[in-house]
Amino acid sequence: EEGASRIVLPGDVVFGLAAQAQNKVLRLGSGLSQDADRVVAIKAGRLNHAKSKLWVEGSQKRYIPSAEDSVIGIVIDRRAEEFLVDLNAPVLGLLPILSFEGATRKNIPNLKEGAVVYGRVVKAHRDISPALSCLDASGKGSGYGPLKEGYLFECSTGLARSLLGTPTYPVLEALGKSLAFEIAVGVNGRVWVKSDAPATTVLVSNAIINSECLSAAQQHILVQKLLQAAK
Amino acid sequence: MAKREDDLRTPGELLGLASEFNAGRGSYCHDGKIYASLVGIRHLIEAKQGSDDLRPTIEIRREKERDAVPEAGSTVTAKITKVQARMASADIVCVGPRAVKEKFTGIVRQQDVRLTEIDKVDMHSSFRPGDIIRAEVISLGDSRAYYLSTAKNELGVVSAVSVAGATMVAVSWQEMQCPLTNQREPRKVAKVVTSNE
Repeated sequence: EEGASRIVLPGDVVFGLAAQAQNKVLRLGSGLSQDADRVVAIKAGRLNHAKSKLWVEGSQKRYIPSAEDSVIGIVIDRRAEEFLVDLNAPVLGLLPILSFEGATRKNIPNLKEGAVVYGRVVKAHRDISPALSCLDASGKGSGYGPLKEGYLFECSTGLARSLLGTPTYPVLEALGKSLAFEIAVGVNGRVWVKSDAPATTVLVSNAIINSECLSAAQQHILVQKLLQAAK
Repeated sequence: MAKREDDLRTPGELLGLASEFNAGRGSYCHDGKIYASLVGIRHLIEAKQGSDDLRPTIEIRREKERDAVPEAGSTVTAKITKVQARMASADIVCVGPRAVKEKFTGIVRQQDVRLTEIDKVDMHSSFRPGDIIRAEVISLGDSRAYYLSTAKNELGVVSAVSVAGATMVAVSWQEMQCPLTNQREPRKVAKVVTSNE
């Protein structure tokens, strides 16, 4: 199993536990479920195996909340103690009004309907609404919080993960050399871009959206063409 | 034996004088007279020998048994339908040993889940949708639901199904274990007293 990265579909048996009479610890990540003595894939995607963790990585348009994900949400409503946030997921997220940097009872963030926030999923389970926070685990803001102005667009969850992964996504690297812009990526398939000139924002957004199926070299060429056309 | 029609009483019917009879269950005393307050059969119970009051007691007993309805203080069996951040909703299935004929909704609030550290209760670690719980009715609540409490050792989850689909076994008052996968899941478990103890 180690190293062999293969495509799985929901229902595929990844391997049978009874056959492996070894005392190894194997952690199951997202996309896998234990069914009595077998491990079964419940998501379509590529099966990855690293260290002692097994997980499925796929690319969907719909986001399924998972703990410790950084997401971009849109505020829908405000309840007594929390904001209701749309995450492009089957359920709305709950963001407590005090989970912001510098928020106290007297100083509550005034987020209206339609406000964009960058937050972290604290707790997620299929039976409950995901709990969010705009503070990191140690209580500091570290980049989370409301995103003012800028432009928000949607992409697939796979592209979002590539934008956040290492090594640096080729399009971002190429754009960063010539343009100045701010960007925030949510693994729920949302990207926020902000820059001084609208033309720059449009160029960056187009470059990212059109780069999903291109190789690194092709992405560099794409960026070159866009920059030249802008001149 | 008197015929049933003779003994059938309706509310407001005069049963006798307070000087001759005692008002028992299903009847009441007003202005020295005893009236019925229920629809049912009149029963006469002789006074206990040796007691001061020699008057017989009149009782009105209903013919049919009433359907089970939760009352404040009754122990109910319910099935959790929804778990939220500060409360859990449940469908009441039985009142005591009797099944209910119509659906009643109950709510377990965060502060009523257990006795200790009630502000640190995590609803999701206490109940999950589908769990069967034994709870006590605190109050009739509002028009939407009864208020239930599991804040006693013998109240809480009595039966739950794991994510793998098997009925779990209680290992402590906080955890239940799945027999298929050996994984433990957190619940507020009821201490079920068996007849052997």
